[in-house]
Amino acid sequence: MPIRPSFVIVAGALLTGASAYLLAEPVAPDFIAGLEAQSAEAIDDAGGQGVTARFASATGAPSRHPLLSGGERLDETTRAKVARAVYDVPGVGGVVWSDGTVRAESDEPTYQPLHCQEDVEGLLRTRSIRFEEASSAILPASRILLDEVADALRPCLGSIIAITGHTDQSGAEPGNLALSMDRARAVREALVRRGIPRDGLRASGVGSSQPVDGLAPTDPANRRIEFSVIRTEPLRPTPVDTPGAR
Amino acid sequence: MPLWFELAALMLVAYVAGIGIGWALWGRHVTHKE
Repeated sequence: MPIRPSFVIVAGALLTGASAYLLAEPVAPDFIAGLEAQSAEAIDDAGGQGVTARFASATGAPSRHPLLSGGERLDETTRAKVARAVYDVPGVGGVVWSDGTVRAESDEPTYQPLHCQEDVEGLLRTRSIRFEEASSAILPASRILLDEVADALRPCLGSIIAITGHTDQSGAEPGNLALSMDRARAVREALVRRGIPRDGLRASGVGSSQPVDGLAPTDPANRRIEFSVIRTEPLRPTPVDTPGAR
Repeated sequence: MPLWFELAALMLVAYVAGIGIGWALWGRHVTHKE
């Protein structure tokens, strides 16, 4: 009776699977122990105190894909660095954090100011948005500057732009707080009129609590509006398990 | 993913690729009878 070719192919596949299992089983513990030792060293070098890498699957079988745990107190940049260091150990597969659900797309820090913040800071270094005395009304002379600020912020549309108002320490603090808040809002409205979407702008006032470094709190130069651009790109799920902070 | 599973997957892929290449080179005339 002739043997059917499909039967031979399936039998061959089963034999291949079984031989893979038999080949891997005796080698795996030593191989994984080597990965564990190198990873522990890499974690220490990356400053990940308290982080442990467990090289086992959910069922406890040896695996090349470590589960990182611990290090909850470490900042995101260090965690990303630790994950990257473990990932870079030759032989290690994808790295997953036990307390993380999202695999970061790259090892860049998640908070990163964009260039437009530098552009705006450059604009405001020599000139400042000026207001009427004790009022949140922007002086007409500052309109051109606001036009330029709006143009500089335009490449960052889609990001959250924080507008923070500051005052000097002259006068009572509750009044300063209200004034700094009103001025930040006035700048926000001015930017909205120049085409920057309102939902990306956050106005806040801190009164005189954050004077410029090196200036006395009473110095009038502390009256200012600061912009900071916070990158908020949506998290994109990716099938590539590159290591990240979470 | 356990290590043996990765190895098994890799070897099965190689097995299937080997069968495919073997068929393309030498087995065509067996299955393509005129």
